[in-house]
Amino acid sequence: MRHYPRWPIHLILLVASFIMLVPFYWVLKTSVSGENIFTYPPNIIPRNPHLFYYVDVWYAIPFARYFLNSVIVSVLTIAANVIFNAMAGYALTRGFRGKNLVLMLFLSCMMVPFQATIIPAYLITGKLGLLDSYLGLALPQFSTIICIFVFKASFDAVPKSLIDAAKIDGLSEWRIIWKVMMPLAKSAMATNIILSFIWSWNNFLWPLIMTRSADMQTLPLGLSRFLSYQEDTTGALYAFCVMVLAPGILLFLLAQKEFIQGLTSGATKG
Amino acid sequence: MDDEDYQSPPWRKWLVNRFVMTPLIILLIAGAWDLYANTHNSGLVEGTVVDAAGNPVAGADVTLWTFNFTTFSEKGRTTSGPDGRFTFTDNPSHHIQVSATKPGVGSSQRRPIRLFFQSQDTRIQEPFVLSGGA
Amino acid sequence: MVTATVEAGRRHRSSFIARKTTRQAVLIWCFLAPSLLIFLLYRILPLAWNVILSFQAWSPLRPAVWIGFDNYDEMLTDEVFWQSLWNTLYIIGSAPIGIAIALALALLVNADIRGRDVYRTAIFLSYPLMTVAVAIIWRWMFDERVGLINYVARSLHLVDSPIQFLNSFTWALPSVIAANIWQMLGFYMIILLTGLQNIPGNLYEAAEIDGANAFRRFLRITLPLLKPSIFLCFVIGMLNSVTSFDLVYVMTGGGPGRATEILVTYIYKLGFVQTRFDYAAAVTVVFFIMLITIAWAANRFSGGNAGAVERD
Repeated sequence: MRHYPRWPIHLILLVASFIMLVPFYWVLKTSVSGENIFTYPPNIIPRNPHLFYYVDVWYAIPFARYFLNSVIVSVLTIAANVIFNAMAGYALTRGFRGKNLVLMLFLSCMMVPFQATIIPAYLITGKLGLLDSYLGLALPQFSTIICIFVFKASFDAVPKSLIDAAKIDGLSEWRIIWKVMMPLAKSAMATNIILSFIWSWNNFLWPLIMTRSADMQTLPLGLSRFLSYQEDTTGALYAFCVMVLAPGILLFLLAQKEFIQGLTSGATKG
Repeated sequence: MDDEDYQSPPWRKWLVNRFVMTPLIILLIAGAWDLYANTHNSGLVEGTVVDAAGNPVAGADVTLWTFNFTTFSEKGRTTSGPDGRFTFTDNPSHHIQVSATKPGVGSSQRRPIRLFFQSQDTRIQEPFVLSGGA
Repeated sequence: MVTATVEAGRRHRSSFIARKTTRQAVLIWCFLAPSLLIFLLYRILPLAWNVILSFQAWSPLRPAVWIGFDNYDEMLTDEVFWQSLWNTLYIIGSAPIGIAIALALALLVNADIRGRDVYRTAIFLSYPLMTVAVAIIWRWMFDERVGLINYVARSLHLVDSPIQFLNSFTWALPSVIAANIWQMLGFYMIILLTGLQNIPGNLYEAAEIDGANAFRRFLRITLPLLKPSIFLCFVIGMLNSVTSFDLVYVMTGGGPGRATEILVTYIYKLGFVQTRFDYAAAVTVVFFIMLITIAWAANRFSGGNAGAVERD
């Protein structure tokens, strides 16, 4: 490779990163300065920053309740996802009659965006009597096709000789799954956990449709509500925004490698 | 590194990693904060009233206002003691205003005070200065 | 599940082999059952129900009546429907812009430079965020007075008076699209980056020896080999942006007027604000057919079975 100057690349990437990050700064700044729409010009550096808008949010809305609801729905979704997807992924590594049909079904389901099913999905959930419940909130996301294929790929990668050896040792099917397959599917599991967390944590349309009582609202719903009835309390709104974004950003920074790996493997396999 | 892994008990690997430790630390901080908030929330608001010359004013009317959605409403009244001190014991809010007045000496500005949690015990350092006479 | 397997086993006591294969088949179907059930319940059944509903006049208060194509007829003269259809197509049409920017960034990040992981993180950080919060952030960025964009534009004397981005018929939709690109950029970049890293390096070396310049190398090697990744970005980006209900709902609510109404927000309003489930179902059917057609066309365009899952 020939040598070429590096600084233009750095310059462009710095500008791009700056553009990508500056909205975060703007929100953070507003959440500590509370500048509202009547301030002009806006201050680049916040004047008299303080944290009291976060206190305001805490008492203005049942933040803990929303947070708890979001956590419960996410935990339900993650648990169901990991178990069901691992099971389905394992089944798909085996030969059986009707396998192609199942694969076709899964692949065609992937082209059905959830948003195109909201009306019957709402009616079905109503018929099941799950409207306005945690289970109903989490149920449509209990299994995701992309993650099934991620599991399938990682099970496929387990060497056949390893399974044969385990069989010769007299291990039962269940023990093979638990002792041989699952430990080798750790990264698939991490992928699944992260993706299903992000999807259920950020989900907005479904809770919007199917929650009725204020007690069942999740964080995104609470955020959009807060926007509509407290237009003037700017600082508090953006403090809320920061509080909502923080868990997602924290998780992403913690599990960046797994996240990106999972996304690319999920997207390219699926 | 590997040797250490073999020697350390298996629970260590599950416990000492960033996915467990970070939430744990956050929980600890939240717990400590909660403990602090719950032991310092008896609703005390203390301060002093002085006149323009800096001398303590006894018998001044001190009013506590609390924030209700959009406006401040009067919540409590007290009078300052002989050394100019006053104490509210039932502040329910986290966003309050305090003002003091005494006929003949004057009145202070209504000063906004923000607290980190509801009924946080607080001592207002800067005295309320009465001015304006009448 | 275990008892089912055992019972299935008992029934076929006659032959050991038959018992074993049946038992395995039962086990496999038991493993598939939960996922299949959820997909049937929330993907296949809704799809069928949508089609049925679209030929009916029905609301929770009235019994269903078959009315043939009346709902579709209504759509032909429904201006809001056409407006939201065009807006949806407009958003899909803007996807290549995001992909092009992401491709440029991916090429740069793929270069052998220091700190590439930091750049990658910075650019990707916006993707996993809650879209409702992203919408609120961008409402603020586009704000007429305190928004950073107007402030910078005014400071540089690019505009004399502030642009009311989200309240203007011309600017509202591009503003939503910009926010969408901001969120999806990191995702596109990661997919393209993986595609770039899968291109064997010796291809470039050979081309360089043959005297191909950088631009020709990009055109002849990088772009053709990246086709599957680009297709993938397009399809996922399309599914993601067309369905970016959260963004439109929070940023503009479909306004001003109907300037940013997209099909999904229109379906939501029809179904859950006006409780016209039947007509909303008909719109959903059209929406779905449109999605499938575009995905199929993109697949053909990118040269066949790009993005297909390997089957065994």
